Amino acid sequence: MVDAIVTGGSFGLEDAPMTRDRSAGWAYFRSFGDVFEAGGSWYLTSAEAVQYAQQHPDLFSSARAFDSLGSPLPLVPIAMDPPEHVRYRRVLDPMLAPRVINAMDDELRRQLGILIDGFVDRGSCDGVADLAHLYPTQVFLTLFGMPLEDRDQFIEWAEFIIEHTGAAELEPNEQVVAVAGALFGYLQQFVDAKRHAPGDDMLSRILALSGEDAWTNEEVLGLCFLLTLAGLDTVTAEIGFLLFHLARDADLRRRVVLDPTLTAPLIEEVIRLEPPAPIQPRITTTEVEVAGVRIPAGKLVNIVVGAANRDPARFSSPNEINLESSDRGHFGFGGGIHRCLGSHLARRELRLALEEFHKRIPDYELAVGADPVVVWPSGTLHLTDLPLVFTAHGPS
Amino acid sequence: MRVTIDAQRCTGHGRCYVVAPALFTDDERGFGQVIADGEVTSKHEEMARAVVLACPEQAIICSDS
Repeated sequence: MVDAIVTGGSFGLEDAPMTRDRSAGWAYFRSFGDVFEAGGSWYLTSAEAVQYAQQHPDLFSSARAFDSLGSPLPLVPIAMDPPEHVRYRRVLDPMLAPRVINAMDDELRRQLGILIDGFVDRGSCDGVADLAHLYPTQVFLTLFGMPLEDRDQFIEWAEFIIEHTGAAELEPNEQVVAVAGALFGYLQQFVDAKRHAPGDDMLSRILALSGEDAWTNEEVLGLCFLLTLAGLDTVTAEIGFLLFHLARDADLRRRVVLDPTLTAPLIEEVIRLEPPAPIQPRITTTEVEVAGVRIPAGKLVNIVVGAANRDPARFSSPNEINLESSDRGHFGFGGGIHRCLGSHLARRELRLALEEFHKRIPDYELAVGADPVVVWPSGTLHLTDLPLVFTAHGPS
Repeated sequence: MRVTIDAQRCTGHGRCYVVAPALFTDDERGFGQVIADGEVTSKHEEMARAVVLACPEQAIICSDS
Protein backbone atom coordinates (compact mmCIF):
# COMPACT_ATOMS: atom_id res chain seq x y z
CA MET A 1 0.00 0.00 0.00
CA VAL A 2 1.24 3.45 -0.90
CA ASP A 3 1.56 5.80 2.04
CA ALA A 4 1.52 9.11 0.23
CA ILE A 5 -0.87 11.77 1.45
CA VAL A 6 -2.18 13.46 -1.66
CA THR A 7 -3.51 16.89 -0.92
CA GLY A 8 -5.47 19.01 -3.33
CA GLY A 9 -3.49 22.03 -2.11
CA SER A 10 -5.34 25.11 -3.29
CA PHE A 11 -8.37 23.21 -4.62
CA GLY A 12 -11.68 24.93 -4.00
CA LEU A 13 -14.97 23.62 -5.30
CA GLU A 14 -16.21 27.15 -5.97
CA ASP A 15 -13.01 27.96 -7.89
CA ALA A 16 -13.76 25.50 -10.70
CA PRO A 17 -14.41 27.65 -13.82
CA MET A 18 -17.69 25.90 -14.63
CA THR A 19 -20.06 28.76 -15.45
CA ARG A 20 -19.59 28.99 -19.22
CA ASP A 21 -17.36 26.05 -20.03
CA ARG A 22 -17.56 22.67 -18.35
CA SER A 23 -14.44 21.55 -20.23
CA ALA A 24 -12.46 24.06 -18.20
CA GLY A 25 -14.43 23.27 -15.06
CA TRP A 26 -13.78 19.53 -15.07
CA ALA A 27 -10.17 20.03 -16.25
CA TYR A 28 -9.71 22.05 -13.06
CA PHE A 29 -10.75 19.00 -11.01
CA ARG A 30 -8.55 16.66 -13.04
CA SER A 31 -5.54 18.98 -12.60
CA PHE A 32 -5.37 18.06 -8.90
CA GLY A 33 -4.97 14.36 -9.67
CA ASP A 34 -6.94 11.14 -9.94
CA VAL A 35 -7.51 11.01 -6.18
CA PHE A 36 -6.93 13.96 -3.86
CA GLU A 37 -7.99 15.41 -0.54
CA ALA A 38 -9.21 18.95 0.06
CA GLY A 39 -10.97 20.49 3.01
CA GLY A 40 -11.37 17.17 4.79
CA SER A 41 -13.10 15.31 1.97
CA TRP A 42 -11.76 13.31 -0.95
CA TYR A 43 -12.27 13.58 -4.68
CA LEU A 44 -12.07 10.79 -7.27
CA THR A 45 -11.66 12.17 -10.80
CA SER A 46 -10.33 9.40 -13.07
CA ALA A 47 -12.39 6.72 -14.78
CA GLU A 48 -10.48 4.01 -12.92
CA ALA A 49 -10.95 5.57 -9.47
CA VAL A 50 -14.62 6.38 -10.04
CA GLN A 51 -15.38 2.89 -11.28
CA TYR A 52 -13.57 1.32 -8.33
CA ALA A 53 -15.68 3.27 -5.82
CA GLN A 54 -18.92 2.58 -7.67
CA GLN A 55 -18.22 -1.14 -7.83
CA HIS A 56 -17.27 -1.47 -4.13
CA PRO A 57 -20.32 -0.38 -2.13
CA ASP A 58 -18.94 -2.38 0.82
CA LEU A 59 -16.02 0.08 1.02
CA PHE A 60 -17.89 3.20 -0.12
CA SER A 61 -21.19 3.45 1.75
CA SER A 62 -24.20 5.41 0.56
CA ALA A 63 -26.18 4.95 3.78
CA ARG A 64 -24.65 7.90 5.63
CA ALA A 65 -23.59 9.90 2.61
CA PHE A 66 -26.92 11.60 1.94
CA ASP A 67 -27.44 13.00 5.44
CA SER A 68 -26.87 16.53 4.20
CA LEU A 69 -30.16 16.45 2.31
CA GLY A 70 -31.81 16.38 5.73
CA SER A 71 -34.59 14.11 4.58
CA PRO A 72 -36.90 13.12 7.44
CA LEU A 73 -37.73 9.98 5.43
CA PRO A 74 -35.59 7.08 4.23
CA LEU A 75 -34.23 8.02 0.80
CA VAL A 76 -35.23 4.79 -0.92
CA PRO A 77 -33.04 3.39 -2.47
CA ILE A 78 -30.20 5.90 -3.05
CA ALA A 79 -29.14 6.15 0.59
CA MET A 80 -29.16 2.40 1.15
CA ASP A 81 -26.40 -0.19 1.21
CA PRO A 82 -26.76 -3.90 0.55
CA PRO A 83 -28.66 -5.94 1.61
CA GLU A 84 -31.52 -3.42 2.08
CA HIS A 85 -30.72 -1.86 -1.29
CA VAL A 86 -31.27 -5.16 -3.10
CA ARG A 87 -34.75 -5.52 -1.69
CA TYR A 88 -35.84 -2.15 -3.08
CA ARG A 89 -34.18 -2.45 -6.47
CA ARG A 90 -35.62 -5.90 -7.09
CA VAL A 91 -39.05 -4.32 -6.90
CA LEU A 92 -38.30 -0.95 -8.52
CA ASP A 93 -36.16 -1.98 -11.53
CA PRO A 94 -39.01 -3.80 -13.30
CA MET A 95 -41.28 -0.78 -12.84
CA LEU A 96 -38.85 1.42 -14.81
CA ALA A 97 -37.67 -1.12 -17.37
CA PRO A 98 -37.73 -0.19 -21.08
CA ARG A 99 -40.60 -2.54 -21.87
CA VAL A 100 -42.75 -0.79 -19.25
CA ILE A 101 -41.77 2.66 -20.48
CA ASN A 102 -42.79 1.72 -24.04
CA ALA A 103 -46.40 1.95 -22.90
CA MET A 104 -45.94 5.65 -22.03
CA ASP A 105 -44.53 6.77 -25.39
CA ASP A 106 -47.75 7.93 -27.05
CA GLU A 107 -48.94 9.85 -24.02
CA LEU A 108 -45.57 11.57 -23.54
CA ARG A 109 -45.42 12.54 -27.22
CA ARG A 110 -48.94 13.98 -26.94
CA GLN A 111 -47.91 16.09 -23.93
CA LEU A 112 -44.74 17.27 -25.65
CA GLY A 113 -46.78 18.28 -28.70
CA ILE A 114 -49.01 20.48 -26.57
CA LEU A 115 -46.05 22.12 -24.81
CA ILE A 116 -44.12 22.81 -28.02
CA ASP A 117 -47.20 23.95 -29.94
CA GLY A 118 -47.56 26.54 -27.19
CA PHE A 119 -44.58 28.49 -28.54
CA VAL A 120 -44.01 27.21 -32.08
CA ASP A 121 -45.79 30.23 -33.65
CA ARG A 122 -43.86 32.75 -31.55
CA GLY A 123 -40.54 32.30 -33.33
CA SER A 124 -38.75 32.27 -30.03
CA CYS A 125 -38.79 30.37 -26.75
CA ASP A 126 -36.82 29.77 -23.65
CA GLY A 127 -35.78 26.14 -24.01
CA VAL A 128 -35.50 25.85 -20.24
CA ALA A 129 -38.59 27.72 -18.98
CA ASP A 130 -40.99 26.74 -21.77
CA LEU A 131 -40.10 23.08 -22.18
CA ALA A 132 -37.30 21.61 -20.04
CA HIS A 133 -38.75 23.02 -16.83
CA LEU A 134 -42.29 21.68 -17.35
CA TYR A 135 -42.05 18.33 -19.09
CA PRO A 136 -40.17 16.15 -16.52
CA THR A 137 -42.70 16.97 -13.81
CA GLN A 138 -45.51 16.04 -16.19
CA VAL A 139 -43.77 12.72 -16.81
CA PHE A 140 -43.51 12.09 -13.07
CA LEU A 141 -47.18 12.96 -12.51
CA THR A 142 -48.14 10.69 -15.43
CA LEU A 143 -46.00 7.81 -14.12
CA PHE A 144 -47.48 8.13 -10.63
CA GLY A 145 -51.06 8.67 -11.77
CA MET A 146 -51.42 12.20 -10.43
CA PRO A 147 -53.20 15.10 -12.18
CA LEU A 148 -51.23 17.23 -14.65
CA GLU A 149 -53.12 20.29 -13.39
CA ASP A 150 -50.98 20.15 -10.25
CA ARG A 151 -47.79 20.56 -12.27
CA ASP A 152 -46.97 24.16 -11.40
CA GLN A 153 -47.61 23.73 -7.68
CA PHE A 154 -45.54 20.58 -7.69
CA ILE A 155 -42.66 22.33 -9.46
CA GLU A 156 -42.77 25.19 -6.97
CA TRP A 157 -42.42 22.83 -4.00
CA ALA A 158 -39.76 20.63 -5.60
CA GLU A 159 -37.64 23.58 -6.74
CA PHE A 160 -37.74 25.22 -3.36
CA ILE A 161 -36.56 22.05 -1.66
CA ILE A 162 -33.82 21.40 -4.24
CA GLU A 163 -32.54 24.97 -4.05
CA HIS A 164 -32.41 25.01 -0.28
CA THR A 165 -30.91 21.63 0.49
CA GLY A 166 -27.60 19.97 -0.21
CA ALA A 167 -24.04 20.24 0.92
CA ALA A 168 -24.13 24.00 1.40
CA GLU A 169 -26.80 23.81 4.11
CA LEU A 170 -25.70 22.66 7.53
CA GLU A 171 -29.20 21.70 8.56
CA PRO A 172 -32.62 21.99 6.94
CA ASN A 173 -34.16 25.37 7.69
CA GLU A 174 -37.73 25.94 8.85
CA GLN A 175 -38.98 27.03 5.45
CA VAL A 176 -37.70 23.87 3.80
CA VAL A 177 -39.35 21.76 6.48
CA ALA A 178 -42.62 23.61 5.86
CA VAL A 179 -42.46 23.19 2.08
CA ALA A 180 -41.43 19.54 2.40
CA GLY A 181 -44.41 19.10 4.72
CA ALA A 182 -46.74 20.54 2.07
CA LEU A 183 -45.27 18.21 -0.56
CA PHE A 184 -45.56 15.19 1.74
CA GLY A 185 -49.16 16.14 2.54
CA TYR A 186 -49.96 16.31 -1.14
CA LEU A 187 -48.29 12.95 -1.85
CA GLN A 188 -49.96 11.34 1.17
CA GLN A 189 -53.42 12.14 -0.27
CA PHE A 190 -52.61 10.04 -3.32
CA VAL A 191 -51.01 7.28 -1.30
CA ASP A 192 -54.20 7.02 0.79
CA ALA A 193 -56.50 7.22 -2.22
CA LYS A 194 -54.58 4.66 -4.28
CA ARG A 195 -54.36 2.20 -1.41
CA HIS A 196 -58.14 1.96 -1.57
CA ALA A 197 -58.65 2.44 -5.30
CA PRO A 198 -55.50 1.45 -7.22
CA GLY A 199 -54.95 2.86 -10.68
CA ASP A 200 -52.72 1.76 -13.55
CA ASP A 201 -49.64 3.61 -12.34
CA MET A 202 -46.32 3.03 -10.56
CA LEU A 203 -47.49 4.38 -7.20
CA SER A 204 -50.43 1.96 -7.18
CA ARG A 205 -48.12 -0.91 -8.08
CA ILE A 206 -45.82 -0.12 -5.14
CA LEU A 207 -48.77 0.14 -2.77
CA ALA A 208 -50.05 -3.21 -4.02
CA LEU A 209 -46.89 -5.02 -2.87
CA SER A 210 -47.85 -7.50 -0.18
CA GLY A 211 -46.32 -9.84 2.37
CA GLU A 212 -42.56 -9.51 2.80
CA ASP A 213 -42.36 -7.10 -0.13
CA ALA A 214 -44.88 -4.61 1.30
CA TRP A 215 -43.56 -1.12 1.95
CA THR A 216 -44.30 1.10 4.93
CA ASN A 217 -45.91 4.48 4.40
CA GLU A 218 -42.56 6.13 5.18
CA GLU A 219 -40.77 4.08 2.54
CA VAL A 220 -43.35 5.00 -0.10
CA LEU A 221 -43.12 8.70 0.74
CA GLY A 222 -39.32 8.45 0.86
CA LEU A 223 -39.26 7.06 -2.66
CA CYS A 224 -41.66 9.77 -3.90
CA PHE A 225 -39.43 12.38 -2.28
CA LEU A 226 -36.29 10.94 -3.85
CA LEU A 227 -37.84 10.75 -7.32
CA THR A 228 -38.90 14.37 -6.89
CA LEU A 229 -35.34 15.36 -5.98
CA ALA A 230 -33.56 13.14 -8.50
CA GLY A 231 -35.93 12.73 -11.43
CA LEU A 232 -37.15 16.20 -12.27
CA ASP A 233 -34.38 18.79 -12.33
CA THR A 234 -31.89 16.29 -13.77
CA VAL A 235 -34.00 15.74 -16.89
CA THR A 236 -34.77 19.47 -17.00
CA ALA A 237 -31.03 20.13 -16.95
CA GLU A 238 -30.28 17.63 -19.69
CA ILE A 239 -32.95 18.91 -22.09
CA GLY A 240 -31.41 22.34 -21.58
CA PHE A 241 -27.90 21.07 -22.35
CA LEU A 242 -29.06 19.12 -25.41
CA LEU A 243 -30.83 22.11 -26.94
CA PHE A 244 -27.86 24.31 -26.01
CA HIS A 245 -25.31 22.16 -27.84
CA LEU A 246 -27.60 21.78 -30.84
CA ALA A 247 -28.47 25.48 -30.97
CA ARG A 248 -24.87 26.64 -31.00
CA ASP A 249 -23.60 24.08 -33.53
CA ALA A 250 -25.40 24.30 -36.89
CA ASP A 251 -23.59 21.30 -38.39
CA LEU A 252 -24.43 19.06 -35.46
CA ARG A 253 -28.05 20.23 -35.53
CA ARG A 254 -28.47 19.54 -39.24
CA ARG A 255 -26.91 16.10 -38.95
CA VAL A 256 -29.23 15.08 -36.12
CA VAL A 257 -32.37 16.57 -37.69
CA LEU A 258 -31.65 14.89 -41.05
CA ASP A 259 -30.77 11.56 -39.46
CA PRO A 260 -32.87 10.94 -36.33
CA THR A 261 -30.94 7.71 -35.63
CA LEU A 262 -28.21 10.06 -34.39
CA THR A 263 -30.47 11.37 -31.62
CA ALA A 264 -29.67 8.52 -29.21
CA PRO A 265 -25.87 8.76 -29.72
CA LEU A 266 -26.10 12.54 -29.27
CA ILE A 267 -27.95 12.05 -25.97
CA GLU A 268 -25.20 9.70 -24.71
CA GLU A 269 -22.50 12.20 -25.61
CA VAL A 270 -24.25 15.18 -24.02
CA ILE A 271 -24.94 13.19 -20.84
CA ARG A 272 -21.26 12.25 -20.79
CA LEU A 273 -20.09 15.84 -21.21
CA GLU A 274 -22.81 17.53 -19.15
CA PRO A 275 -23.95 15.08 -16.46
CA PRO A 276 -26.65 16.85 -14.45
CA ALA A 277 -25.67 15.02 -11.24
CA PRO A 278 -21.89 15.35 -11.61
CA ILE A 279 -20.76 14.46 -8.08
CA GLN A 280 -22.01 11.62 -5.89
CA PRO A 281 -21.12 11.25 -2.21
CA ARG A 282 -19.97 8.14 -0.36
CA ILE A 283 -18.48 7.49 3.11
CA THR A 284 -15.56 5.10 3.44
CA THR A 285 -16.36 2.17 5.74
CA THR A 286 -12.71 1.27 6.29
CA GLU A 287 -9.30 2.44 5.13
CA VAL A 288 -9.18 1.97 1.37
CA GLU A 289 -6.64 2.37 -1.40
CA VAL A 290 -7.77 3.88 -4.68
CA ALA A 291 -5.42 4.29 -7.64
CA GLY A 292 -2.49 3.97 -5.23
CA VAL A 293 -3.78 6.54 -2.75
CA ARG A 294 -4.84 5.66 0.80
CA ILE A 295 -8.12 7.12 2.13
CA PRO A 296 -8.86 6.71 5.86
CA ALA A 297 -12.10 5.21 7.20
CA GLY A 298 -15.12 7.44 7.76
CA LYS A 299 -14.21 10.05 5.13
CA LEU A 300 -16.55 11.76 2.70
CA VAL A 301 -15.56 10.74 -0.82
CA ASN A 302 -16.87 12.67 -3.82
CA ILE A 303 -17.24 10.54 -6.93
CA VAL A 304 -16.69 13.17 -9.63
CA VAL A 305 -18.34 11.60 -12.66
CA GLY A 306 -18.20 14.95 -14.48
CA ALA A 307 -14.40 14.70 -14.49
CA ALA A 308 -14.17 10.94 -15.06
CA ASN A 309 -16.41 11.32 -18.12
CA ARG A 310 -13.61 13.34 -19.70
CA ASP A 311 -10.75 11.06 -18.72
CA PRO A 312 -8.58 10.71 -21.85
CA ALA A 313 -7.61 7.21 -20.70
CA ARG A 314 -11.13 6.09 -21.56
CA PHE A 315 -12.54 8.60 -24.05
CA SER A 316 -10.82 9.32 -27.33
CA SER A 317 -12.26 12.83 -27.71
CA PRO A 318 -12.72 13.68 -24.05
CA ASN A 319 -14.09 17.20 -24.46
CA GLU A 320 -15.93 16.97 -27.78
CA ILE A 321 -19.23 15.50 -28.92
CA ASN A 322 -18.26 12.52 -31.04
CA LEU A 323 -21.28 10.72 -32.50
CA GLU A 324 -19.07 8.00 -34.01
CA SER A 325 -17.72 6.80 -30.67
CA SER A 326 -20.65 7.69 -28.47
CA ASP A 327 -20.79 4.35 -26.70
CA ARG A 328 -17.76 4.18 -24.47
CA GLY A 329 -19.45 3.44 -21.18
CA HIS A 330 -19.74 6.84 -19.51
CA PHE A 331 -20.58 7.47 -15.84
CA GLY A 332 -23.41 9.94 -16.42
CA PHE A 333 -25.96 7.65 -14.78
CA GLY A 334 -23.55 6.66 -12.04
CA GLY A 335 -22.51 3.03 -11.84
CA GLY A 336 -22.35 -0.05 -9.70
CA ILE A 337 -25.43 -1.05 -7.73
CA HIS A 338 -26.65 2.56 -7.54
CA ARG A 339 -26.84 2.98 -11.32
CA CYS A 340 -29.59 5.57 -11.85
CA LEU A 341 -32.91 3.82 -11.29
CA GLY A 342 -34.56 6.12 -13.81
CA SER A 343 -31.89 5.86 -16.51
CA HIS A 344 -34.13 4.09 -19.03
CA LEU A 345 -36.96 6.54 -18.45
CA ALA A 346 -34.63 9.54 -18.62
CA ARG A 347 -33.14 8.43 -21.94
CA ARG A 348 -36.65 7.94 -23.34
CA GLU A 349 -37.83 11.33 -22.07
CA LEU A 350 -34.86 13.02 -23.71
CA ARG A 351 -35.22 11.22 -27.03
CA LEU A 352 -38.95 11.90 -27.29
CA ALA A 353 -38.42 15.55 -26.36
CA LEU A 354 -35.81 16.05 -29.08
CA GLU A 355 -37.83 14.16 -31.69
CA GLU A 356 -41.01 16.14 -31.03
CA PHE A 357 -39.08 19.42 -30.89
CA HIS A 358 -37.33 18.76 -34.19
CA LYS A 359 -40.57 17.66 -35.86
CA ARG A 360 -41.93 21.15 -35.26
CA ILE A 361 -38.75 23.24 -35.06
CA PRO A 362 -36.04 21.71 -37.25
CA ASP A 363 -33.86 24.82 -37.30
CA TYR A 364 -33.11 27.11 -34.40
CA GLU A 365 -30.26 28.98 -32.79
CA LEU A 366 -29.30 30.90 -29.69
CA ALA A 367 -30.94 34.35 -29.53
CA VAL A 368 -28.59 37.27 -30.20
CA GLY A 369 -26.77 38.18 -27.02
CA ALA A 370 -27.78 34.97 -25.26
CA ASP A 371 -25.12 33.81 -22.83
CA PRO A 372 -26.35 30.60 -21.19
CA VAL A 373 -24.60 29.91 -17.89
CA VAL A 374 -24.78 27.31 -15.16
CA VAL A 375 -24.93 28.08 -11.46
CA TRP A 376 -21.88 26.73 -9.65
CA PRO A 377 -21.45 25.14 -7.17
CA SER A 378 -24.76 23.39 -7.45
CA GLY A 379 -25.97 19.86 -6.72
CA THR A 380 -27.66 19.66 -10.10
CA LEU A 381 -25.70 21.28 -12.89
CA HIS A 382 -28.11 23.11 -15.19
CA LEU A 383 -28.45 26.10 -17.48
CA THR A 384 -30.55 28.83 -15.90
CA ASP A 385 -32.14 29.85 -19.19
CA LEU A 386 -31.80 29.19 -22.92
CA PRO A 387 -33.24 31.85 -25.25
CA LEU A 388 -33.78 30.32 -28.69
CA VAL A 389 -35.01 31.81 -31.98
CA PHE A 390 -36.41 30.01 -35.02
CA THR A 391 -38.72 30.55 -37.98
CA ALA A 392 -42.26 30.81 -36.67
CA HIS A 393 -45.08 28.77 -38.12
CA GLY A 394 -48.51 27.61 -36.99
CA PRO A 395 -49.03 24.74 -34.57
CA SER A 396 -48.87 21.35 -36.26
CA MET B 1 -16.39 -15.84 -30.91
CA ARG B 2 -18.86 -15.81 -28.02
CA VAL B 3 -20.29 -13.08 -25.73
CA THR B 4 -21.25 -13.50 -22.09
CA ILE B 5 -22.35 -11.13 -19.32
CA ASP B 6 -20.50 -11.11 -16.00
CA ALA B 7 -23.52 -11.12 -13.68
CA GLN B 8 -21.38 -9.91 -10.77
CA ARG B 9 -20.60 -6.67 -12.62
CA CYS B 10 -23.82 -6.11 -14.56
CA THR B 11 -26.09 -3.51 -12.92
CA GLY B 12 -28.61 -3.04 -15.69
CA HIS B 13 -27.43 -0.02 -17.67
CA GLY B 14 -29.03 -1.69 -20.66
CA ARG B 15 -26.52 -0.53 -23.24
CA CYS B 16 -25.80 -4.02 -24.61
CA TYR B 17 -29.21 -4.62 -26.15
CA VAL B 18 -29.22 -1.10 -27.62
CA VAL B 19 -25.72 -1.28 -29.11
CA ALA B 20 -25.85 -4.96 -30.09
CA PRO B 21 -29.51 -5.96 -30.52
CA ALA B 22 -28.49 -9.03 -32.54
CA LEU B 23 -26.61 -10.43 -29.54
CA PHE B 24 -28.53 -9.21 -26.46
CA THR B 25 -32.11 -8.63 -25.38
CA ASP B 26 -33.70 -6.97 -22.34
CA ASP B 27 -35.33 -8.83 -19.47
CA GLU B 28 -38.26 -7.71 -17.31
CA ARG B 29 -35.92 -5.69 -15.05
CA GLY B 30 -34.30 -3.89 -17.98
CA PHE B 31 -31.09 -5.91 -17.60
CA GLY B 32 -29.38 -7.39 -20.65
CA GLN B 33 -29.53 -11.08 -21.50
CA VAL B 34 -27.41 -12.93 -24.04
CA ILE B 35 -29.51 -14.21 -26.94
CA ALA B 36 -29.30 -18.00 -27.29
CA ASP B 37 -25.78 -19.21 -26.47
CA GLY B 38 -24.02 -15.95 -27.29
CA GLU B 39 -22.37 -17.32 -30.42
CA VAL B 40 -21.19 -14.42 -32.60
CA THR B 41 -21.39 -14.95 -36.36
CA SER B 42 -18.78 -13.27 -38.52
CA LYS B 43 -21.15 -10.50 -39.59
CA HIS B 44 -21.67 -9.48 -35.92
CA GLU B 45 -18.03 -9.51 -34.82
CA GLU B 46 -17.71 -5.75 -35.06
CA MET B 47 -20.90 -5.35 -33.00
CA ALA B 48 -19.46 -7.69 -30.37
CA ARG B 49 -16.29 -5.62 -30.08
CA ALA B 50 -18.34 -2.40 -29.84
CA VAL B 51 -20.54 -3.71 -27.05
CA VAL B 52 -17.52 -4.60 -24.90
CA LEU B 53 -16.51 -0.93 -24.99
CA ALA B 54 -20.07 0.32 -24.53
CA CYS B 55 -20.77 -1.43 -21.23
CA PRO B 56 -20.21 1.14 -18.45
CA GLU B 57 -19.44 -1.65 -15.96
CA GLN B 58 -17.13 -3.54 -18.33
CA ALA B 59 -19.34 -6.56 -17.71
CA ILE B 60 -19.35 -7.96 -21.25
CA ILE B 61 -16.85 -10.67 -22.02
CA CYS B 62 -16.04 -11.51 -25.61
CA SER B 63 -14.03 -14.71 -25.96
CA ASP B 64 -12.62 -16.52 -28.96
CA SER B 65 -14.02 -19.92 -28.03
